Amino acid sequence: MLALQLLLNGIALGAAYALVALGFVLVLNATGAVNFAQGDLVMAGGILAAALAPLLPVPGLLLLPLVLALMAGLGLLLSLAAYLPLRHRPPVAVFISTIAVGIMLQNGVTVLFGPEPRAAPPLLGGGTLDLAGLVVPEQSLAIVAVAALLIGGQQWVFGRTQLGRRLRATAQDPEMARACGVPVTAMVMATFALAAAYAGAAGLLLANQFFVTPTAGGDLILKAYIAVTIGGWGSVPGAVAGALLIALFEVGVSSVLSYPVALGALYVTLLAILVFRPQGLFGEVARRRA
Amino acid sequence: MTGPLLAVDGLCAGYGGLTALDRVSFTLEAAEPVALLGANGAGKSTLLRALLGLVPASAGRVRFAGTDLNGLAAERRVRLGIGYVPEGRRVFPGMSVRDNLEVAGVAARGDRLEDLERVFTLFPQLRGKAGEAAWRLSGGQQQMLAIGRALMVRPRLLLLDEPSLGLSPALAAEVFATIASIAASGTAVLLAEQSAARALATASRVMLLRLGRVVHDGPASGVAAQTLRDAFLGRAGART
Repeated sequence: MLALQLLLNGIALGAAYALVALGFVLVLNATGAVNFAQGDLVMAGGILAAALAPLLPVPGLLLLPLVLALMAGLGLLLSLAAYLPLRHRPPVAVFISTIAVGIMLQNGVTVLFGPEPRAAPPLLGGGTLDLAGLVVPEQSLAIVAVAALLIGGQQWVFGRTQLGRRLRATAQDPEMARACGVPVTAMVMATFALAAAYAGAAGLLLANQFFVTPTAGGDLILKAYIAVTIGGWGSVPGAVAGALLIALFEVGVSSVLSYPVALGALYVTLLAILVFRPQGLFGEVARRRA
Repeated sequence: MTGPLLAVDGLCAGYGGLTALDRVSFTLEAAEPVALLGANGAGKSTLLRALLGLVPASAGRVRFAGTDLNGLAAERRVRLGIGYVPEGRRVFPGMSVRDNLEVAGVAARGDRLEDLERVFTLFPQLRGKAGEAAWRLSGGQQQMLAIGRALMVRPRLLLLDEPSLGLSPALAAEVFATIASIAASGTAVLLAEQSAARALATASRVMLLRLGRVVHDGPASGVAAQTLRDAFLGRAGART
């Protein structure tokens, strides 16, 4: 029973991490650039939800659409300020610009809201459900449901709609996408908006149980980076699987041993994957044909 | 619309300090198939890419169907009716055959499906592979996909860059037969090709490029072998 409890907690945490990693990998695929501000966008989403809660005293689930929309707007600004002016420069220019945006977000939030931890409202309620003897926090179930809905929605849009085809074509060959009539710049901006919106959702989900501080983004970007490395650089299912694996280590191993041991075991696993399967769990070595 | 479908006047383009196109001027009528021949490095690919807006023009003007293309982004040019088949096919490898075609569709969904059906009729081999990732296709099938993808933009002008490259003679013949049928259906074609014999058999007119300049422009049937040799071998003063 305890194992099931831990598994559910791990899946809930992993679902939120998956949204962080998903946003990270979408930008990576669309631009070839690493968005180091992704963790700080998660933090911004959490702070935004915490700041909106007293103004709009409703459950987090009803705040979520507003957070998604505002964060999508922030993503558009990020693309305009930190990516588009530098897209023809070497990749390191975008690395630095996104790091700079992250630092600005941290300091901006500190100035506006202070450095103390804040909590976002729960998605539904703070209670628990008793499922055949298993005590399940409503928040955990709601996190899993919301994350599954958002990830499923992303998969549907990318797999079944013309917008999704255009986003994928832009990610695979921007010049050729342009030669097929795809408005590539708009697609890149849409990707940043989507990634930031998902970061915001992750921030809202995480900031209820774990609180959020202005410097929380550093830890989250590291986890997203590890999730994408474990899952396979650029693989969307891999990023989700990597995020779940990290969360299961954090919850499962740390409950049996300790958190530092869990982190150590996670990094050992990461090293083993890099040695024995450097392309990651879902990555492919090569898939081009002459 | 009056006047030619495409009017190029004094077009210059290059890469960094290197001039690849030097004051290129020509016109192309609607439904006219034109072969663009020349040695490697003559500027054929650059001309096609500059017409589409993938290489910026440093001087000159390009008008297409009465619209000035200067300053217009590639995606806007495509939507005016310019289709492009690049050298090396460049299909989207991780996308299915169907998605490769649909992504280039300019029409609303219902009409786009009709366009898709038209491409599958033209290339029956692609129909059976519709759900497969494009990287799994053979070279010939990828070339068909690249041509089909360009047709999804409903082109009035089709730019083809080395469509026979890397194909077996039999497959190349099949591809050229398809290009001829596309031209016959009323689409203007500008065909850059190394294989002069195939290109001349497909086109009604030939332009020879050498060192970024048009050195010959005339009927495909009347071009002298010596003129072709001069253009391909890079001898000074190719005859016109």
